[in-house]
This record gives sequence, structure tokens and C-alpha cells, in this order.
Amino acid sequence: MTARPAMTAAAADNRGSRFSASHMSAVAVIVVMAAWPGAIASSESFLLYVGTLVVLYSVGAMSLHLVFRMGQVSFAHAAFLGIGGYTSALLLTGSGLSWPLAFCASGLVSGLFGLLLGPIVLRLRGVYFVLFTFILCEFAERVFTDWGSLTNGAGGVAGIPAPPAFSSPVSFYYLCLGVAVLCALICRGVLKSDVGEAIDAIRTSESLAESNGVPVFRIKVAIFAISCLLVGFQGALQASFVHYISPASYTFDESLRFVVMNVIGGMNSLWGPVLGSVFIIALPELLRNWVEYQWVLYGVVLVLAMRYLPGGLYELGERASALLRKGGA
Amino acid sequence: MLSLPVLAQVVVNGVNLGAIYILMALGFTMIFGIMRIVNFAHGAFAMLGGFALYFLLMDAHVPFLLALPLGALLVGAGSLLAERFVLRHLYHNELQGMIATLGLSMVMIYLAAIVFGVSQRSVPAVYSEIFFFGPLVVPMDRLVVLGIAAVTLLLFFLFMRYTKPGLAMRVAAQDLEVAEAQGINAAAHYQAAFFIASSLAALAGGLIGQLYALSPFMGATPLMKSFIVVILGGLGSIPGAALGGLLLGMAESSLTTFFGASTAQLASFGIVMLVLVLRPQGLFGHAERDS
Amino acid sequence: MNKVAKLLAALATAALCLSPMPLLAKDLTIGAIGTLSGGATDWGVATQRGVQLAIDEVNAQGGLKIGGETYTPHLIIYDDQYTGQGGATAATRLVNADHAKFIIGPIGTPPTLAALAITTPAKVLMLDDGFSPKILGPKNTYNFRISATPQEFAPAMIGWLKKNYPKTKRVAIVDPNDSVGQQVMPILLKGYKADGFDVAFTEMYDRSTKDFTPLLTRMMANKIDVLDLSSSAPAEAGLLLKQARQVGFKGVIIQIGGPSVEENLAVAGPLAEDFISFDFFNPDNPLAKKFGDAYAKKYGSTMSSWCPVMYNAAKILFEAMHRANSIDVDAVKAELPKMTGYETIFGPLHWGGKETYGIDHQLLADIVIEQVKDGKIVRRDVVSMY
Repeated sequence: MTARPAMTAAAADNRGSRFSASHMSAVAVIVVMAAWPGAIASSESFLLYVGTLVVLYSVGAMSLHLVFRMGQVSFAHAAFLGIGGYTSALLLTGSGLSWPLAFCASGLVSGLFGLLLGPIVLRLRGVYFVLFTFILCEFAERVFTDWGSLTNGAGGVAGIPAPPAFSSPVSFYYLCLGVAVLCALICRGVLKSDVGEAIDAIRTSESLAESNGVPVFRIKVAIFAISCLLVGFQGALQASFVHYISPASYTFDESLRFVVMNVIGGMNSLWGPVLGSVFIIALPELLRNWVEYQWVLYGVVLVLAMRYLPGGLYELGERASALLRKGGA
Repeated sequence: MLSLPVLAQVVVNGVNLGAIYILMALGFTMIFGIMRIVNFAHGAFAMLGGFALYFLLMDAHVPFLLALPLGALLVGAGSLLAERFVLRHLYHNELQGMIATLGLSMVMIYLAAIVFGVSQRSVPAVYSEIFFFGPLVVPMDRLVVLGIAAVTLLLFFLFMRYTKPGLAMRVAAQDLEVAEAQGINAAAHYQAAFFIASSLAALAGGLIGQLYALSPFMGATPLMKSFIVVILGGLGSIPGAALGGLLLGMAESSLTTFFGASTAQLASFGIVMLVLVLRPQGLFGHAERDS
Repeated sequence: MNKVAKLLAALATAALCLSPMPLLAKDLTIGAIGTLSGGATDWGVATQRGVQLAIDEVNAQGGLKIGGETYTPHLIIYDDQYTGQGGATAATRLVNADHAKFIIGPIGTPPTLAALAITTPAKVLMLDDGFSPKILGPKNTYNFRISATPQEFAPAMIGWLKKNYPKTKRVAIVDPNDSVGQQVMPILLKGYKADGFDVAFTEMYDRSTKDFTPLLTRMMANKIDVLDLSSSAPAEAGLLLKQARQVGFKGVIIQIGGPSVEENLAVAGPLAEDFISFDFFNPDNPLAKKFGDAYAKKYGSTMSSWCPVMYNAAKILFEAMHRANSIDVDAVKAELPKMTGYETIFGPLHWGGKETYGIDHQLLADIVIEQVKDGKIVRRDVVSMY
């Protein structure tokens, strides 16, 4: 395992000169994440577990970033996470489908739901979109709970297997990291393309974009569906990681978590959700030693971050680097 | 099932539910209308109102009818601290405001859990009589709650309709720029609005504590109902909140009685989604402008 | 831009530095998992307090003297948030970071099933509670359920009801629509039918419900003799009780799905009169009385029914260590089933469950049937589950 991060780092060094700063930090992050198991495997496999969670959640958070970039805030992401999770869990435990197929199905089913619901949901804007997605999330949780014949009700689905080739914690971590990097590439690809420009135009002014010939509604639905597809993959991975799912895993709190990751991390860059997921997953784990006060401290951090860092952690990074540049010069 | 006594009971239950929903939703919709903040801490202020009433009754031995408004005003005054240190910097900043109030509510809830403990407690029933009007059953505590809610709502509407600050708030809710152009001091009215909204939530919390039970987590359900009520009535619309609250109360009462709890729950979500799609601005709201 | 990466690396380093310190040699980590956030927070607090009281007792006597060594047990508890993910995270942290070999809790099906997926392969002993039958099984040998489920106590309770209220016939069962309620409802339906009752009304309500009058208005139209609050949590059960009387229900109100008489009385006040439920906790038992006094001295407030259950689990665990004269997991695990007859706060210890679950890892005990009379809790009867 230790050889792999070293190789990646060497590769990054050789080609660094041709890369922009953004590329370099991307590679650096991947190196850090890839080296994570090596750095900690000796003593703390719990940190590997937390690392896996961070990587997992960055998938959903990045996918939600696409929706954020359209100027919309969705609280329904837990519902699509759940659709992905239940699809793969039920296929794996019920029909004995192979893991890769169940994994693909989970994303596709979730994306399909996004494609079907998108045209209804995306007619709404601003706070109305927020509220509708909130209700959608609650509705989905009730369906997971009440449709006992399919979902086994509130008791949940137990014994969800991990993919046979990735059953050790370290290999599963790399699987998740691979999916997260792929997801980042997809999101980045979308944002850098013409569609990305159209998304920014839509965020600035829908009517202006429309009058400039941008197929606003179609782009919105497509982006929403892609976002749902990606978070569906997280659902499948997470189900195999925890080996158990139940409606309680897909509540409004979970949707909120994705939103908070994006807001805390920063909404103007794809780095935002990545930083946000590191922060939001790691923070409660660090606070667990003060178990009585962990949620109070968590709340204080949220308030302070919004008060002093409206641009999120990404802004903090930028401010810090600007400061360093000034100091260096 | 469809006999006259059952129907009458459904109406009584529905009005009762609606009264509390309205009290909660009024403040929620007001804060959104005026400050453009989805206040996730609204439920936590209701919770504090419940505990304020409890301690005034049990430790300070203040009579119920005095303790209830007193507790609400105390919580309202305390809420100004939150306004000063958290919300003031985030007005008209929908997203950051929402997350900050979420953090605020976590702080309030989990501090309450540490200070007050987590077990359920109830405000001892001040009124325990039960009246039987023929086949109709009405407990005294519910009549009292209904009466208090009615008086409060009346006072609130009179205030908003006929006083200068009330008018200014309504103008600010309609259009902030117009309000400021007319020399309305936004900051002062924000404080006043936040005070009123939190006091209303705290009053609702006291009534919830009286009818149901107290715990640090009791604010979650009323907060969610407020969401639904303002969707029905239209965000920022005060008459909409009143109508939406009554509508939700009646719908829950009749759907549960005739079709059962699970069906009612799913149906009410379905109805809300339908309303949002067909009439996004709610029954009384204004259409969201493309910014 | 690349400073972002540095920040990330710094965060990762911080995570490493802040992780817990290694333990001293003779410390004995007792892990616990409980819900410490959201609506079920009182369960986690009950777990924390119950286990802590047992540890206090041991440490007051100078620690556990086992195999020539003295061990000082100390408690580490993590929040499971009442979700699968939360239970798995808490278990992973206890097993891998704190190297706990013994875990008490969680309470509830989602965190328990998820935690078991971690603790069973790691060979960590867990004493937990959740109503799902999947929690116990011949393969889960490192797992004991330390509280009875309706599968065990419902038949005894329904039998008692039939004997003492022979004229009642039509029963209403009201359950929360969650993992507990969905599990309990079919067990009670079967139990009542087996004893010749007519279950005329069943309803599952959303966990966020506070006003049950519409539901109870529906029930009133069904001419009900007995209302069973079943597995309703204390908050909802107390409100159901109060509101059932307020809509004019005159029949018997009983709760068979779970013990919570004290909390229900606190919520329903005078309208709790005649309410029947049960408790595993018999204050006549001298050990139980001692525990009750210790609780009152340290914590004062109303005690959750789960607190003695978790205390009991810790006591049983320490006794098993004594008897095995070892803190080796396998030795302790082998000792536990042999402890039948050990005097606990719930009376003599008894393991059962082989017929139902295929393994005798289910704690069985006496049930104390209680009723509210003149605002006080009065003991009506003691019946046995085995």
C-alpha cells in the first residue's frame, strides 16, 4: 500500500511544472487522501474509518454543488441518497446481483428519479424550491418507512455485503476515493464545459439566459439528474460500508448535512464541498471526547463560521494564501 | 363515522391544532417576510417558552394566566441577544442566515438538554375539567388554549393593522427599499419584529407545554408544522399563515379521523407538494421575483 | 490556491493529534453506545448513568481484583444518533481507537444492528438492546440482549389482562410508526388473538405526533374496551393516556409494549388514574432499592426505565469477569451463560431464547405489573417470563 502514494507523488512532481496552481492543489489533495491509510494504518484504524466517511460524503456534497451552482438549494439529497442505498441494498441482499451491477443500478435508479422529479421540482425557484425539496425529503422517508413489503420498513435492511474485491477497510477506502475522484472529474468537467457557463448564466439571471438562447429548463433538469445519479452512488457505497440501512439514515438531518457542507466549505468552487465534508465529518468525531457538549460546540462553530466566514472555508484558504503571498513578497 | 357528533369533534380538534400552528407560523413567516431569514431557531424559542412557563409556575408560583405572557415576553427579550450577535449580520442573506439559525438552534437545544435534563416533563395541568356537550367532549385546558390563542391573534392583528410600527413592519415585509425610502428605520423594526416573533413562538411553546409535554427537543415538530403552514399560506404572508394554520389543523384532524394516521401524513405531504407546484406562492403569497 | 491543500493537510494532522491518548495498563475500558442527540437522548443518558453507577460501585471497593491484578474500569460513551451509521461509527471508534473489548448498549434496532456488524467480526462483547429478532442469532455469539422484548413479555402480560379483566373483549393497539412499533405490532396482534381478544382497531402514528385527539376520535367510533399504548415512547404514551381520557374513553388503558409507568404518570398527571403497565424493576428487591437510592443521590431527577437495565448489564459483566477470573473476552463470554441464578436488581439472572432465536442469549426476568391509584404507582402482581 505504501508504494502507491509515493508513485502518485512522484508523478505529480514530474509534471507539476506544466500544471496550473489549481491542478497542483488537486493533485496534492489526492496525494494526501491516498497517503491517508499509510499514515495512520499503524495505530488508528478509526481514522481510516473517518477518512472513508469523508471521502464518501464528498461525493454527495460535490454532486449537490452542481445544484448550488444553478442558484438552487436542495434539501432532497437524502432522499436520493436513500434511493441509491435501498436500490443497491435490496438488489444485493434480495436478488444476489453482483456488486458492480448493483452499484451501477443504484446510481441509475436515483438519477432516473431525478430525471422524473426534476421537471416538477425545477419549476420552482428560490425559497419555494427549498421548501418543496424539504417536503420531498420527508415524504421519501415516510415511503421508506411505510412500504414495508419492499423496504422492510423501519427495521431496515441488514447484512449488506461489501464488494468481494474490496472487503478490507483499506481497499474499500481506495474504492471510495476512486469514486470520489471520478465524481470530482465529472463535476469539474460539467462546470468547465459550455454547460458550466450556461449554469452560471442561469444563476445570475434565468430570464436573461433564456433570452440569450440558453435552454434553461433542459439544462436545469439535466444537472439535477446528474446530481441525483452521483449521490445515488454514494448511497450504494455507504450501504456496503455500514452494512445496514434504515429510513433513519435518510432523514432531513442528512440532507441538511450536505447543504451545510456546501455552505461551510464555500459555494463558489468545487473545493468548497470537499473542504466542507472534511470539516463536517471530522468535527463531531473530534468533539466526541466532549460527548455532552459536542452538539453545542458544533452549533457554535456553525454560527461563527456563518458570521465571520460567509464564503466558507474556501474563502479562509484564499485569504490565508493571499496573506502568505503578501508576506512572501 | 360520518355522524354529526364525530364531525363536530373533528372541527373542535382541528381548530385547536390550528390555533397553535398559527401562533408558531406567524412569527416564522414574519421573520422571513421582513428579514428574509428561514429561522430554524424558531422551534427552540418555543421550547424556551415552555420551560420559562414551567419555572415561573413551579418555582416562582406565578399564576398561570400571568406566567404565560410573562414567560413569552422574557424569551422574546432574550431572543434580542440572538438578534444582536447572530442574525443582525445575516439579514437578507437567505442561505447563511438559515445555516446560522440552525447552529443557533443546536446551541439552544443542547444547552437546554444539559441545564434542564432530557427526560420529559409536563407543566402540571392547571385546568383538568372535561366538559361534555351532549356527545361532544371538550377538555377545559383546550378551551383555555383556544381562548388565549384567539386573544393573542386578535391583539396581533390589531397591532399590525392600526399601529404605526405595525404598518411599518408590513411595509418592510412588502418591499424593503420602499420602506427605507420612506424613512422607516429598518434596524429598529427588525428588532421589534424579531422580539414579537420569538415571543409568539414562546407563547405557543408554553401552550404546547401545557397541552402536551416539555423536553429540549419539543420544538422540532412545531417548526416543521410552521414550514408546512407557510407553504400553504405563502411565505411572508401574515393572513396566509393564519389561513394556512387553520387549514393544516383541519386537514390533519379530518384526514386522521377518517383515514388513519399514516394515510393522513402521506396525504398532507402530497397536498403540500401539489400546492407548491400549482401555486408556488402559496394561497396568499406573492410570486418570487427572478433576481 | 495550493494553500487550500496545505490547510487540508493541517486539518488531517490536527485530527491525528487530537485522537485519544493511549490507555494506562490497568485501566479497563468499558465502552458504551447510546443516543445522545435528538428525541431519544434520554436513552443515551440512561445508559451513561446506569453504567457509571455500576463503575462507581466497583471503584468505591478499590477496583476489580482479577487474576492478581487490580483494574479500574472507566466509561467511554459515544453518541449513535439513533441511526445505523451513528451506531457503526460509535462501535468502530470504541473497537479500533479506544480498543474497548466490552460494550454496553446501544438501545434500539438501527444502531444495534449496525454496531453488531462491527463488533461481531472484531470479537468484542456487546450487551445491547433492540427489539428486532435479527439481533440475536446462533452466529452472533459475542452479543447478549440484556432486556426482554415483547416476544418475551407480551404473552405473560396479555394472560394477566385476560385473567384480571375477563369482561374486556375489543382491543385497540396504538404504536409509533418506527422500527420499534413495526416490530411490536404483529407480536401483540398475535398475542391478543391467541388469548381470544378481538383486536378491533390498530393505528401507527408518526413519531413527531403530539396531538392524538384525531386518532383517538377515530378509535372512539370502534367501541373499544382496552386501549394498549404498546411500544409508544414515554413522551407519546403519556400524551395518548391523557388525551384518551380527554376524548372520553372510559375503558382500560394498558401498556404492554414497554415499561414507562413513572414517566407516563409525570406527563398525564391526574388523568393517568387506573393506567396499567409493568416494570422490570421491583423496589422490594433490596439490591434494586440500593440502586434506586444511589441514583437519587447522584442524579436526583426522574429515572428512566432504561437506567437500571444498563446498570444491570454492567453489573452482570463485572460479575462474569470475576467468575472467569480474567478480562479476556472469550473467557468472559463463556462465563456469562453459566451465571443463571446470580442475584440481580431484577431478581435471579436467567438466559433464554433458544427456541425463538437459536441461542440462549436473551435475558429473562420477572415482570412487575403496576397500576396508577390515587396518583401513586401501586404494584398489582408479579408474573414470570419463563
